[in-house]
Amino acid sequence: MSEQAVEERTALKVTEDSCSSCAVCSSLCPFEAIKRDTETNKIILEIEKCQVCGICYSACPAKAIDVIYYDVDSLTSYLERAKQEYKSDTLVIACKGSAPDLVGVDKLFGVTKFIPLSVPCVGRVPDEVFLKAIVMGINKIHVLGCDEDYCRFERGSSVAGRRILALNLLLEQLGYGKELITFKRNSLKVKVDADSCIICGNCVFYCPYDAAKLESPGTVSFDLTACRGCGLCVAMCPAQALELENWEEERISTLISKLSKEMKTPKIFIFRCQWAAYPSLNGALAPNVRFIDLPCASRVDILHILEAFRQGADGVLIVACAEDDCKQEKASGKAQHSVEALIKRLSQIGLQDRLHFCTVAPRYPERLDEELAQFSEKIAAIGSKESKEQ
Amino acid sequence: MIVTTQKPLDEVLDYISPYKKVLIVGCDGCTQPPRGLREAKTLSQLLELGGKLRNKNFKFKTTTTAKQCDSYLTASALKPQVDGVDAVLSLSCGIGVQVLAELFPDIPVFPAQNTHFMGAEDREAAALEERCVGCGECILALTGGVCPVARCAKGLLNGPCGGAENGKCEIDSTKDCAWVLIIQRLEKAGRLDLLKEIRPPKDYQLKGWRITT
Repeated sequence: MSEQAVEERTALKVTEDSCSSCAVCSSLCPFEAIKRDTETNKIILEIEKCQVCGICYSACPAKAIDVIYYDVDSLTSYLERAKQEYKSDTLVIACKGSAPDLVGVDKLFGVTKFIPLSVPCVGRVPDEVFLKAIVMGINKIHVLGCDEDYCRFERGSSVAGRRILALNLLLEQLGYGKELITFKRNSLKVKVDADSCIICGNCVFYCPYDAAKLESPGTVSFDLTACRGCGLCVAMCPAQALELENWEEERISTLISKLSKEMKTPKIFIFRCQWAAYPSLNGALAPNVRFIDLPCASRVDILHILEAFRQGADGVLIVACAEDDCKQEKASGKAQHSVEALIKRLSQIGLQDRLHFCTVAPRYPERLDEELAQFSEKIAAIGSKESKEQ
Repeated sequence: MIVTTQKPLDEVLDYISPYKKVLIVGCDGCTQPPRGLREAKTLSQLLELGGKLRNKNFKFKTTTTAKQCDSYLTASALKPQVDGVDAVLSLSCGIGVQVLAELFPDIPVFPAQNTHFMGAEDREAAALEERCVGCGECILALTGGVCPVARCAKGLLNGPCGGAENGKCEIDSTKDCAWVLIIQRLEKAGRLDLLKEIRPPKDYQLKGWRITT
C-alpha cells in the first residue's frame, strides 16, 4: 500500500501538457483561484479558492481545463436526449440563480414549448455547446442570466453576455440570421405582504445587505436594488409576511408532498443550497432520496423541515456551503443556528437524530455523497419513523 | 417587551392530550422573540409529530392575534375561530393566556410559554435581559438610566452591597453589577451628588393592581 494519502477528487483540473499559459482563465476567474506563476509561467489552480463557476473552463482556448459538472460532453448528451424528449427546436438555458426549475421562463421569452436546460451560471456554457445545439437542429436559443450585480459568481452573467454577442455576430455571418440567441437577465427578490407584517424588525436585523428598513410609523420597506435574494429574512419572519420570488413557501411545501409520494422508505429529504452541490444532469437518484434546492441554505425553513417529517420523512439533511464559500454574506451560519435550535426542540420528541446539518462544496464532488452515506447509515440504524409510531 | 420561552413539548402535550381539536393562538404583540403565525404553525407541526409518538392524532388550527392582552381586539379576532375547538393553546405571555381564559370560559386555555420578565433584546448576542419590574415608582432619573430594582440582585436603592467583583454581581459572575453601572454613568455625567441623598424604601402600594385610563 502506498504511504501517500489518496488525493481527493476535485471538480476542476488543469492539464499541464495542453496548457499554453495564455492566462485567459486567470483574467476571468472571479475568485483569484487560478493564476499564472510568474517564475515558471505555469497555470496554478488553488482549489480551495475555486467556487466551480466553470467560467475558466468555458473560456480556455486550449481545452486544458477539465470540469466535472456541466462540461461539453455532458451538456451535449443532455441536449441530444432532451431534444427527443421535449420535441422542440427551441432551447432555453437558464441560470438556477434567477430561474430555479425554469418557472416563469416561458412568459419571459414568450415560448410555450422548449428544451429546458438549467445550469449553475450561464457564464460556464462554452461556445461549443451553443454551436453543437445549432448543429443538432435547434433554431432558437434563449438564455437567461442573472442581473450583473446579482450573479453568484460575480462575472458569470457578463461573460455570458459578451459570449452571446460574439456568437450572434458569427452566426449572422454564417447566414443564420440575426439574434439566433437571445439573452435576458433576471433576479429573484423578496416580496412583502404589508398587511401581515407585524413590524418586529427581524428582517432589518437579519438582512445581510441592509435592504430592509423599518420606518416610523410602522412600515417595513425593502430596497430591492440591495436585495440579493438569499431568503434569510423570509425564513426569519415570524409573521410569514415575506416571500422570495420563485421560492415561495407554498411552492416548496407542494414540492415536499409531491416528492414524498414517489419516495421509497427510509425517506430522506435533502434541503440543499443550490451552490453547495450541483445536481447531476442525468437525474439518477436513489429511490428513497429527494432533493429540494434552495437559493441559499439560509432560506431553509423550519416549517418545511417539519412538513417533510409530517409527510413521512425518516431523515432530513440540510446541505449548506461553509461560511467562507457562502455566496451570500455568511448567511449559511444563520441557517446552521436555526437548524440547531430546531434539533434541540426535536430532541424533546425523540426526533433529534433525524435532522442533520452539513457543509459541502462543489470543488469536492464526492463530499455530498459521503455525507449522505453517513446520514443514511444513521437513519437505517434508528429505523423507520412510521414503524415506531405503530 | 415581555420575554417568554417555550415550554417543553412534553408539558404542552400533557395539557392538550385529553383533547382533539386544538387552536394555537400566536401573539404579534410584544412577546419576544415574536411568537406569531410562524411559531403557531411550527408548534402545531412539532405537537403533531410528538402526538403521533403518543398515539394521539390532534387536529390543529393556527392563528395569531395583534395583541393578545387586548381583550377587545382578541375577542373580535378569535370569536369566529373557536367554534368547534376543544382546547386553546396560547403563545402569548401569561397575560394573553388569562385574557383568553376570560374570553372563552367554556374552553380550556393552556399556556405554551413560560413568561419571564420585561426586558430588552440584544440581537447580536441573541439574548434578552430583564430591565424593568414594573414597580410603579420609576427612579431611573436618579440612577443614570440603570434600574437597581430590576438589575441589582438585592434591589438596593442606596448604593452597592460591596460584593461586586470586576464589575460583576456576587451572585452571578456573568451579570453586571447594576450599582457599578450606575456609579460609572453618574460619574460620567458629573452627577455623583445624586447619590448623597438617602432614599427611603419604595412604596409598593404605588405598584397598584388596576389603573383606569
